[in-house]
Amino acid sequence: MDNFKVTLRKNLVLYLTLGVLVSLLIAAAQGMESKDFVITFLRGLAVGSLTFLVASGFSLIFGLMHVLNLAHGTLYMIGAYIAWTVFVRPDTFVDLLTPLALLLSGFTLQGVWAFVAARIRLSGAMGRILPWGGMALSLVILFMTLARYPIAVWDVEVFAQSPGTYAFMADQGTRLVPEAAVFEGLSPALAVIGLLAGSLLAAFSMVWLAHPPTAPQQLTWRHFAPFAVLSLVGILALIFNEPLTAWLVGLNTNWLFLVSVVVAVLAGMGLGGLMEVTLIRPLYVRHIYQIMLTLGMSVIGVEIVRAVWGRPEFIMPKPALFTGSGPGCPATTLAAWWQLNCATILVLGGRVRVYNEIFIPLVGLVVLVAVWLLLKRSRLGMIIRAGVQDSEMVEALGINVRQVFTLVFALGVGLAALGGALAAPSLGLSYHMGESVMLNALVALAIGGLTSYPGAALGSVIVGLIQQFMIKYGQIGIAIPFTEIVFKPTPPIVPASTIFLMVIILLLLPNGLLGKKE
Amino acid sequence: MTKSFFRQHQASLLTLLALVLFPFLVGLFEGASPAVVWANGSGTSKFMQGLAIEVFILAMFALSYDLIFGITGLLSFGHSMFFAVGAYASGIAIKSFGLNLGQTFLLVLAAAFIQAVLVGIVLPRVKGITFALVTLGMASVLHLIVMSTELGPYTGADVGLQGVIIPDFINPAVERLRLYFVAMTVFILFYLLYKRFVDSPTGRVCVAIRENEDRAKMLGYNVFTFKFAALLLSSITAALAGFLHTIYQPIVSPNTASLAFTVTALLIVLIGGVGTLSGAFLGAIVFRALDFGLRRYIGESASFINGAVYVLFVLFIPYGIIGTWRLKSLELKKGWEDLLKRFQRSMG
Repeated sequence: MDNFKVTLRKNLVLYLTLGVLVSLLIAAAQGMESKDFVITFLRGLAVGSLTFLVASGFSLIFGLMHVLNLAHGTLYMIGAYIAWTVFVRPDTFVDLLTPLALLLSGFTLQGVWAFVAARIRLSGAMGRILPWGGMALSLVILFMTLARYPIAVWDVEVFAQSPGTYAFMADQGTRLVPEAAVFEGLSPALAVIGLLAGSLLAAFSMVWLAHPPTAPQQLTWRHFAPFAVLSLVGILALIFNEPLTAWLVGLNTNWLFLVSVVVAVLAGMGLGGLMEVTLIRPLYVRHIYQIMLTLGMSVIGVEIVRAVWGRPEFIMPKPALFTGSGPGCPATTLAAWWQLNCATILVLGGRVRVYNEIFIPLVGLVVLVAVWLLLKRSRLGMIIRAGVQDSEMVEALGINVRQVFTLVFALGVGLAALGGALAAPSLGLSYHMGESVMLNALVALAIGGLTSYPGAALGSVIVGLIQQFMIKYGQIGIAIPFTEIVFKPTPPIVPASTIFLMVIILLLLPNGLLGKKE
Repeated sequence: MTKSFFRQHQASLLTLLALVLFPFLVGLFEGASPAVVWANGSGTSKFMQGLAIEVFILAMFALSYDLIFGITGLLSFGHSMFFAVGAYASGIAIKSFGLNLGQTFLLVLAAAFIQAVLVGIVLPRVKGITFALVTLGMASVLHLIVMSTELGPYTGADVGLQGVIIPDFINPAVERLRLYFVAMTVFILFYLLYKRFVDSPTGRVCVAIRENEDRAKMLGYNVFTFKFAALLLSSITAALAGFLHTIYQPIVSPNTASLAFTVTALLIVLIGGVGTLSGAFLGAIVFRALDFGLRRYIGESASFINGAVYVLFVLFIPYGIIGTWRLKSLELKKGWEDLLKRFQRSMG
């Protein structure tokens, strides 16, 4: 009993705040019909799940490395665009696989290059000139190869070949299959050699320039395995280009959707790992500069998306599992839905879109549990949790924290990319989709606690629910008690309301709802 | 031996001279006589004066950011709010309420004071990253308020505040040279004030807070007072920069309240050198010239290159132009003195 009292007194503000929030939810439920409430609630959960996918990765990265990765929203957007590309234009994806895999392959030999660089002794001037020379040479090789490398791609300038047109046609069920790109003025073998050589040389010069403080004592097969896998993937993708494309184009949209989500997640993880190794790592001693760097990265990312996919917004088609219609729809039970694949389902009298309002929250829940298990039940999770507490101590115990840093960064960005890929069919793609989700995630984390994993989930759900209920009440209006006034919140008030809540909660609890006191 | 005043302030005086002569020199370059420039004849000089006024406004804004970020060490993501409040308050006061410039000036000062107090309320509660998030939140709220359709008649919603009529004696379309000198004078006054502030005991404590807040507290300083002083000065400067912006531009865009505008200040300070003050001016020149040149010759993808410049600066020139120059000049000086000493030793 005493124990209970102590806990209560310590967390009084937290319980009061949660109580106020719950009573707000109940009050909100009183004001509308039950079917409206169900739909709004599920929508809130969906927005909350997408926010959570971004916020959880962000919070893991911040907790472990103290890096405020403000480019996270941009990476979410890039995940969405990658998923779209794989889903709508599998041929482009297959064409891109070879150059990207070969380009990356050299950089996976970090350990080997450090080993070699540590054993090269050169006088001052030569030691400075040679790496730069190697870098310049590799850039020339890569430029010459890539400029002639054939990739079947859309054209932002031409309407009939714009991403929007492809997306629309795929949504209508008649997928446009453009002509395959062919090699001209460059033989495939030469292309592979050029890309490999350029990548190896670039990676080596980079490592040489950076003078890594630690180099492996001896080389084992582990140092070469990622390189072998990547280059093999690249070469195989080139050899089996046509059958692979044909297979992907002919694939059932459900499986194609799965493939595109997996590719987006993997690409996000690769991008995250690359970003950590090349850009974030040199700046661990200057945290403020990391924030500025990620800000700059987010600007660059938006510009790249705008240049490659164009300014107009478009949407990714939903897989066949969620687009059924006809007699029997909307489905009334889950079993009926499974047979008919209806786009909507009836829940308490409300028509709920299965993909937007049931599938996304479900995936969010699965990820929540999966990452929770990873953190609580695995050795890696143990290291991460210990690292959040005190990363220097963990390093002193003989664990390679740097490697864990890279892994967590990759994982966090992978989660964001997953969120983007899931959001693409429901919210659509635009070059500013990253900004709003980033703002939501920041608010959610500030509410929940910056480094707390359950806090990220709680904050995201709160943000999602408040926004959706504000939007709903914007349509039906809030009757202010004891007066005749009906208050209708307008769209700008929706994000403002969550930010307002964030400021209040931060003033009451500077560490957020579930954040640890310092 | 004390140096004469002129020797001591050589660089500053030369810069001042260059700034005063700038419109006339540009005019001469084109073949327009100083008299034509003096009479506000149209031409390259008038255009360049406009660019220079923008540079002064940006420099003032960046200067105020440097004071709280570079000197006092408060990372704020909501600095654009300070500027936007000044710009919108003055614009609305002139357009909707018909106040004259003097009254508007007082109003802007009051608004700057009020918002500094508002941020000041939050200041002792949150630190570091959380402060950055709270200020970001405040600025986002202002951005949303400015964009909302309810206030459209006053703020112009997402189109921006338009049709502010500026009295002729300072209107940039009529008397641009006068506005150039006014903006220059205001900027120089603020620059001198900031220099004095940083060299004063108060400013020293601010630097101490940046270096180690706990230690400054242990030494018996009321940290909050000093932070608030810096915040107030910064708020007033940024709001006056916004006021100048309203006078110079016919439009106040809602972008002035967005995060992107704070990032602009950050970029300028970073280019010039964090915590150097004079870096804000140099950074503003470089930024405006770069932005203008890129937009003119490359077009749409200009902000891509801006972002790239930003990343390159963070990675390779983290102390900015002025900061690196100061570091290197010490090295150069030391090398020069070593050489002299060796020479003297060999001689005698």
